[in-house]
Amino acid sequence: MLISEVHSPQSLPELLELMRRLPAAALYSGGTELLREQAGKYIFLPPETISIGALPELRQVSLTERYLEIGAAVTLAEILELKESALPELLAGALRGVATPALRNLATLGGNLATRSRFMDLWAPLACLDALAELKDAAGSRWINVNRLADDEGRPAFPPGALLSRIRVPLERWDAVALRKVGLRDYPAPETAVFALAARAEKGILSDFRLAFAGETALRLREVEGRILGRRLPLGAKERASFAAEYREAAAGLPSGLRQQFGTLVDGALDLISR
Amino acid sequence: MTVSFILNGEDVAVKARSADRLVDLLRERFGVAGVLPDCRRGVCGKCLVLLDGRLAPSCLLPAFKARGREVVTIEGFAQTDEYGDIKGGFADAGLETCGFCDSGKILAAAALLERNSRPSREEILAEMSAVPCRCTDPEALVKGVQAAADRRARRLYRRADQ
Repeated sequence: MLISEVHSPQSLPELLELMRRLPAAALYSGGTELLREQAGKYIFLPPETISIGALPELRQVSLTERYLEIGAAVTLAEILELKESALPELLAGALRGVATPALRNLATLGGNLATRSRFMDLWAPLACLDALAELKDAAGSRWINVNRLADDEGRPAFPPGALLSRIRVPLERWDAVALRKVGLRDYPAPETAVFALAARAEKGILSDFRLAFAGETALRLREVEGRILGRRLPLGAKERASFAAEYREAAAGLPSGLRQQFGTLVDGALDLISR
Repeated sequence: MTVSFILNGEDVAVKARSADRLVDLLRERFGVAGVLPDCRRGVCGKCLVLLDGRLAPSCLLPAFKARGREVVTIEGFAQTDEYGDIKGGFADAGLETCGFCDSGKILAAAALLERNSRPSREEILAEMSAVPCRCTDPEALVKGVQAAADRRARRLYRRADQ
C-alpha cells in the first residue's frame, strides 16, 4: 500500500498492546530484508506497520561473566563494535559476513533471526552456541533455544504474534570453532548458507561438539552430536567416515551444489577436531 | 505524515507517505542531487548518506525512519573540514574516483575515520565495500584513506595546539 498506518510506540508495554490490538500488523526494525525485495520507486508496507527500531528496551546490551544479552533492535554494526573479548568468535565472524558495513548499520539482530522465508546469517552460529531467544506477547514472556526457531523439517518456525525482544548468548571457551558462508554474500539465494562448528575437548576426550548449517533450511543433528561426544581424539578414519556419511545423508534434500559444499565442510570439521 | 529531521545542519519538515524512500524525498523535495536512486536495494552505494553519523543507503530508508534524526549528504559534508581531509588525502594518493562513486567513497571514508582514526588496510577495504564501483584500484583507495587519516590527524593536532 502506498499509504500505511505507521505506529511508533514509545515503550515495550505500548508495543505489546499495539500487537494485541493489531495482530496483522508488521513489525519494522531495520527493514533491510523487506526493502531489498522491493526495487521499485515506492515501498509497499502492510496496511498496519509498527516501527520498533528506536524502542529503548529493545536496544540494550548487557554483559556478565557467563553471557552476553543483546536487544533485538541493536544493529549488526553496533554488535560488532562491542569489545572483542565480549563477542563470541563465531558470532563476530558471521556478523562480518553480512552484506556491507552500510547495510549492517541498518540491519538488526531481531530482523536477522525473525525472517520467516529463510534462515539468515546469524541463525547457524547462534544455534551452535545454544543461544536463547526471549519472546514476548500479550500473555507474557518466555525464553526458547534459538534452535527452536526451526521446525522438525528444518524450516523457519518463528512463532506468529510473538516479539523477539533479546538474545542471550552463553560465553564459553571453545577449543575449535569454524564458520563458513557459502554462496552469494550480498543476496540470499537458495545456494547461500552458513556453516558453524564449535567443539571442545577435555583430557583428549571430545566433551562438546555442535554443528549447524542454515540457508533456506536448517540442519542440526543432535543425535549424531550425541554419538560423537565422549570419543577419544583424534577420531579414527572409520569413525570420521561414518559420521560424515550421517551428515551427508541428512543433507540429501539440499540443492546439489550446496550439498557438495556441506559435505566438504563436514569433512573439514571432523578433520579439524581430530587435529 | 509529517517527518521532521535535520538535513545538512538545518531543521526540516516534510509531508511524506509510508511508501516514500528517503532517497526520493531528498532529491524531489529538497533538491539534493548527491544521492542517486539506482539499484534501490542498498548495494550500489550511490545513495549513501550519513544517518546520525553512520553510513546508510537512503534507498533502504522509508521516510519515517528519518524522523528526529540527522541526515548528512555529500552537499552538507562538503562544508566540513573532514571533507577537505578526505579530498586532500585522495589527491595525495593520486586517487581519482568517478562521478558515480565519488560521494559514496568520501562518505564511507568519513564514517570509517570518525570511529577509527587509524584504520587498517582490511578495515578500509571492508568499509569501502559499501561502494562497489570498480573505477579505482583498491590499493590506491587504501592509500587514499590512509593519507586522509594523516591529514585529519595533523589538523586535529594543530587545533588542539592552538
